[in-house]
Amino acid sequence: MSACGCPGSATQDFRTDAKTEGDESGVRPSQLRQWPIQFHLVSPMAPYFQKADVLLAADCVAFALGDFHKNFLTGKSLAIACPKLDSDQAEYVEKIASLIDDAQINTLTVMIMQVPCCGGLAAIAIQGAAQAKRKIPIKKIVVSLQGEILSEEWVS
Amino acid sequence: MDELLNRPIKEVIAQYPPVADILNTYNIGCVPCQVGSCLLKDIVSIHNLGESEERALFTQIIAVVYPGQKIVLPKLDRPAQKKGPLTYSPPMQTLVDEHVWIKRVLACIPSMLNTTDITTPEGKQWILDCVTFIRSYADKFHHAKEEDILFKFFDEKMDILQVMLTDHVTGRAHVAAAVSALEHHDAKGVAEHLEGYRALLTDHIRREDEVLYPWMDRNLSMKQVGQLQSLFQEAGKEMGTEVEKNAQAFVEKLEGTR
Repeated sequence: MSACGCPGSATQDFRTDAKTEGDESGVRPSQLRQWPIQFHLVSPMAPYFQKADVLLAADCVAFALGDFHKNFLTGKSLAIACPKLDSDQAEYVEKIASLIDDAQINTLTVMIMQVPCCGGLAAIAIQGAAQAKRKIPIKKIVVSLQGEILSEEWVS
Repeated sequence: MDELLNRPIKEVIAQYPPVADILNTYNIGCVPCQVGSCLLKDIVSIHNLGESEERALFTQIIAVVYPGQKIVLPKLDRPAQKKGPLTYSPPMQTLVDEHVWIKRVLACIPSMLNTTDITTPEGKQWILDCVTFIRSYADKFHHAKEEDILFKFFDEKMDILQVMLTDHVTGRAHVAAAVSALEHHDAKGVAEHLEGYRALLTDHIRREDEVLYPWMDRNLSMKQVGQLQSLFQEAGKEMGTEVEKNAQAFVEKLEGTR
């Protein structure tokens, strides 16, 4: 149990007796086209970031979203981070600016969970974009703990 | 029903006039449109009605077109409806922001026509300055982005785009006619064509802001939005900053706020 009451780490149990619906036939191929993916480990100079559509996802997003690969990762280059637990997040801001100006990325999609601590990742993206000289479209997508898309909005 | 869905809206309204009133109750204003070649099925899809609204709309149209008959309601294939106030992708927002400057000039045209004596050099200059704004900002700076860049992301043969392009052509004809009238000292002709331009563009901008741009945003991928943004920025750099600065200065002068 979280000592501080933070919603991001509060225990929640949403198991139900009902069978979860979904198409269980077939195998979905992975849409991951790069390594590494953790934001501290990736370099804006990597070839897969050049002029790419980039997805910056909070660590938990891919676990919450059943169709993360199919609906969100396809065609994009990826970086993941945790705005609550990762250290040295000032580096993240610099990397965002470098992705925009040096890698000349086409767009940035930021996916976060609905918990308050995740908002920090969107803030990092916006700060990095403010430092960059180029202006690119940036979209923020908020995901519920049960894997629903709660909102999509342009933040630049 | 398929035959009805694939008919141009002007034909449907001409044959079944009550359909126009039904569309108007859903804020689908097809009656003033000069072209009217959009198909009924595309009009409903472009206006992004909710499922229950769409069913209600078709139920009413069917009652007019096929009275007393049992017709299966069509289900149109479209992306999920987003609720809430209108928001635009960054490149689309650029166009909407440019509309604001154009609308400010359009709003001034009636009073300008009432108070301007085109037989005087000052009066003539006001009209020419207005024409310069329309040709350099509204047309070359703004419409060129739509025609040379934005519309090319879609099938340009689509009726809705053909309607918009026709409006652009009609607008240019009004402006050319106003200039010709000015040269012939025909105040009535100047007023007729500038007022015609004002009415046309006011409705054209409303349709773009409320219908076309949101529909385009729903149908553009993230990649395409990024490409559009880059192309708009390049086009802006090529035109330079003077066109925009001069246009905004003219608007403020026209409104008397300077």
